[in-house]
Amino acid sequence: MLVAGAGIGGMQAALDLAGSGFMVHLLNDEPSIGGTMSRLDKTFPTGDCAMCMISPRMVESSRHPNVRMHTLARAVKVTGQEGDFTVTVAEKARYVDADRCTGCGACEAECPARVANVFNQGLDKRKAIYALFPQAVPNTRAIDAEHCLFLTRGVCRKCEKVCDANAVNFEDTDKEYELQVGSIILTPGLKTYDPAIRQELGYGRLKNVVTSLQFERLLSASGPFGGVVTRPSDGGHPKRLAWVQCVGSRNAHNANPWCSSVCCMYAAKQSIIAREHDPEVEATVFYMELRAFGKDFDKYIDKAKFGSGVKYRRAMISEIIEDPVTKNLRIHSVDEEGRLVNEEFDMVILSIGFEPRPDAAEFAKIFGIETDQYGFARTSKLAPVATSRPGIYVAGTYQGPKDIPETVIQGSGSAAQAMALLGESRGSEIEEVVLPEERDITGEEPRVGVIVCHCGVNIAGTVDVQKVAEAASHQPGVTHAETIIYACAPDGQQKIRDLIKEKGLNRVVVASCTPRTHAPLFQDTIREVGLNRFLFELADIREQCSWCHMNDKEKATAKAIEIVNMNVAKTRLLDPVTSNSVGVTHAALVVGGGIAGMTASLSLAGQGYGVHLVERDTVLGGLLNKVRRNLEGDDVQAYLDDVRNKIEQEARITVHLGATVAATEGFVGNFKTSLTDGTAIEHGAVLLTSGGAEYVPTEYGYGTSPNVMTQRELESWLAAGDPKASDRFVMIQCVGSREEPANYCSRICCQDALKNSIAIKERQPRARVVVLYRDLRAYGLKEDYYRKARDLGVLFFLYVPERKPEIIADGSGFKVRVDGKVLGGEMEIDADYLILSTGLRPREDAQQLSQTYKVTRNGDGYFMEAHVKLRPVDFPSEGLFLAGLAHAPKNLEETISQSLAAAGRAGTLLSRDNLTVSGIIAKHNRDICMSCLACFRACPFGSPFIDADGRVSHNEVKCTGCGICAGICPAKAFQVNCFRDDQILAMIDSVTGND
Amino acid sequence: MTADGEKIEERRSPEKPCEIPAGWKANIIAFACHYCAFAAADLAGVMRLSYSPNSKVIRLPCTGKLDHIYVLRAFERGIDGVFVAG
Repeated sequence: MLVAGAGIGGMQAALDLAGSGFMVHLLNDEPSIGGTMSRLDKTFPTGDCAMCMISPRMVESSRHPNVRMHTLARAVKVTGQEGDFTVTVAEKARYVDADRCTGCGACEAECPARVANVFNQGLDKRKAIYALFPQAVPNTRAIDAEHCLFLTRGVCRKCEKVCDANAVNFEDTDKEYELQVGSIILTPGLKTYDPAIRQELGYGRLKNVVTSLQFERLLSASGPFGGVVTRPSDGGHPKRLAWVQCVGSRNAHNANPWCSSVCCMYAAKQSIIAREHDPEVEATVFYMELRAFGKDFDKYIDKAKFGSGVKYRRAMISEIIEDPVTKNLRIHSVDEEGRLVNEEFDMVILSIGFEPRPDAAEFAKIFGIETDQYGFARTSKLAPVATSRPGIYVAGTYQGPKDIPETVIQGSGSAAQAMALLGESRGSEIEEVVLPEERDITGEEPRVGVIVCHCGVNIAGTVDVQKVAEAASHQPGVTHAETIIYACAPDGQQKIRDLIKEKGLNRVVVASCTPRTHAPLFQDTIREVGLNRFLFELADIREQCSWCHMNDKEKATAKAIEIVNMNVAKTRLLDPVTSNSVGVTHAALVVGGGIAGMTASLSLAGQGYGVHLVERDTVLGGLLNKVRRNLEGDDVQAYLDDVRNKIEQEARITVHLGATVAATEGFVGNFKTSLTDGTAIEHGAVLLTSGGAEYVPTEYGYGTSPNVMTQRELESWLAAGDPKASDRFVMIQCVGSREEPANYCSRICCQDALKNSIAIKERQPRARVVVLYRDLRAYGLKEDYYRKARDLGVLFFLYVPERKPEIIADGSGFKVRVDGKVLGGEMEIDADYLILSTGLRPREDAQQLSQTYKVTRNGDGYFMEAHVKLRPVDFPSEGLFLAGLAHAPKNLEETISQSLAAAGRAGTLLSRDNLTVSGIIAKHNRDICMSCLACFRACPFGSPFIDADGRVSHNEVKCTGCGICAGICPAKAFQVNCFRDDQILAMIDSVTGND
Repeated sequence: MTADGEKIEERRSPEKPCEIPAGWKANIIAFACHYCAFAAADLAGVMRLSYSPNSKVIRLPCTGKLDHIYVLRAFERGIDGVFVAG
């Protein structure tokens, strides 16, 4: 498998594939993986820290035994076909040996060449030898050959001299090599629009005009100003901030015609966060339309408006003018009352959109795939992750503008497609490592070895490492303590292995860098000589000591001693941990036979697993049975028939019609479910694709006249005959949506209105179509259809929820009264047909399903995923997945992507023969448990359960080791391996123990 | 611990803050979630941000693992402050 691009979508695809037993080559042309998401400060609509989310993914990608990372690398030639591709990879010289580099950064301090820091969007400078960002993976510097003084002019080599690890290698050369892969996933990501093209906005000319991505870096704690929003012209703290939306988007002139899908939301996020940084900030957003179409997005806009006082002004900005003295910026706009407003701001942020990368055309040529007229990879709306070339799939913004969860969904979805293609070769390239038997240390006194790492001068330059080792050697239970120049280097690890054998050590403490990245390495090292992996602690005296306290060597040494000693105190009490494993039933239960359930079932069957598809109705197809075409014109009914036929012919799928889930028990890999028709099913995974419901309107006289129709009814009406030239249609958007009791956007209704109004106008150009809307949410490439509708003469008028359209019956027709601000006063529109754009609601039985499977729903009644950004198709409980309208309103294309993703995630689980329980889990002592149920209520993963004796037992397979149960248990019947109470208390006692 | 910390002998009134001797620095234990706050402490190092060395981090798998016993034990043994971050 080859994944070209290691942003969040590429990493998701790679980890899914690797997790199910495929060898994955992960290509990235930057020196670190991470992509666009690593440049973000926070994410909407939860305000989570982007780096905190993506960093564990990056570490996992770099450490997964089935992932080979190729950084500074890109594909230059692809030959062969589906199942058997040969990819030629060109890898640029890094000039730093990744095996030797410790990531200390001493070279960077010495490097005299200063270069604009592209990662920070040019807001500061970096050196010619650099890490892309502080959390870069691999954590290795690279030399920028274009700017290195030695490589350009033959002088300097300062980095080489200062590197104690001898990692700098100027002999390094560019390489070219071939990879044999069966399938390819393209995730090259995006470029942002260059706003300098629109000179009237002043970017590049006016200092205090910045892009939204620059503003992300200004907000970021690891950005150029440490998270203090700083005005470029004078370093001051800007109070009056303005965002200008749609810069480079929705404009075919010198910009891109599409909507970039994310800018409305990130502007809301940035304005909220800017206020959190500085409560005196006054934020104003100039926008054309608020496209908050995703799950819980409208609520986030409300938070910006009403919680953070962000002013939203619907106005297009024609220019930004700088005050030559203060460098403040003036914006003239016309408000909704038609008055000219003139405002001054300290800083203006341009909400720039996405476009395909500049090398997208060449990229498509190399991989031999077709693109659309804009340069995005061409896919069908009915097969959204398949490119034009069999065996090559696409995910993320290269397929069209989208945000993080949709990118992750397509990452998992394309992995599912590749898994189905190559199911038979699963596990063929994976090498198994043979380890010696574990030494039994039962009954042995603790014999702790302490290895204190110099890390060159990184630790030893600040901390007196000899003193630390000396202090450790006097701690009880310590058999041996010494220092080592680089503990993580191959010779350092050999030294650790030798010491364990020579000194008969049965526990090891390494005092060096952070356990987050390096503990697994040392755990492997001690395991190789027969010590249990969990007889190890890593004392962090670099990131959390020497690097922070360089100015006070004495205190830094004292702190390092304390850190090491408290880890020694804990290590004395460590016990070996054995991991149990349980088998996996290689079959899935899919609840709901709409297009989501059917798509997921076919994908799972294609991957080689048995599927039980349960549908409450007597036919498959769900809501899609009522849809004839999508916005793009595909014949949905033909597609649905085709899918139904495939389901019928697929031997691995058993369909249970007219049945629902009666009862379920079990856990990940081992569920038992009985259906209402009496069938009992054993399965390893559950997919909830139970769908949504159409809203039946009560508004605008629906039901009183056949001429008041929903969009769905209009579609059928249009299928029965052509409209007349004299027909007058008025469509009303957001009927029953975006207001209580369903205060969210249903996402599909704007697309429905565009679809039907285009159909009317194409067939009868003289018919009149008026669309009354609040915000026309034609996001992404759907903007093309909004433009097409306008070009065809469809009239769009705004209304506000405070003044909804009024309907007056007028013979067989209607008069629609609307407050037409644009035309300056109330309008009355004659209509023969009134079309209501009604939205989606959760199904009534969702409540019952949520109880059966113990999954939660959001305030609107839709199922809640494990994480809104990075785990969009997983439930928090392992083995449960979701897709389709049960998750949130979405269109057909998005439902198909999400269903493939859920099938991919489930397939990753079902591919295993055994699930090994993680070592760090809570252990339950049934003897002292009082079954008070505190744990039962507190556990987010449903691990504690009531057993056959009516007492609490603990399912270790579901446990993630968070320890909430241990914290809450009054009897202390729960203890987490390696974080037991006695171990933590020993640390506290050690650090408070000088008395 | 610290000798300094322990020297404050007079009975403290919860309403009236006692006088802080010159040169005294609070001795602090931080309980940090492995996934976020512990990572943040690492990041402070990577960015070479400086803070008082009188604080030590104890890593937990999640701040949900925090037990009131830990906090009480730390105060009982003379710690000046407990910082829970996650």
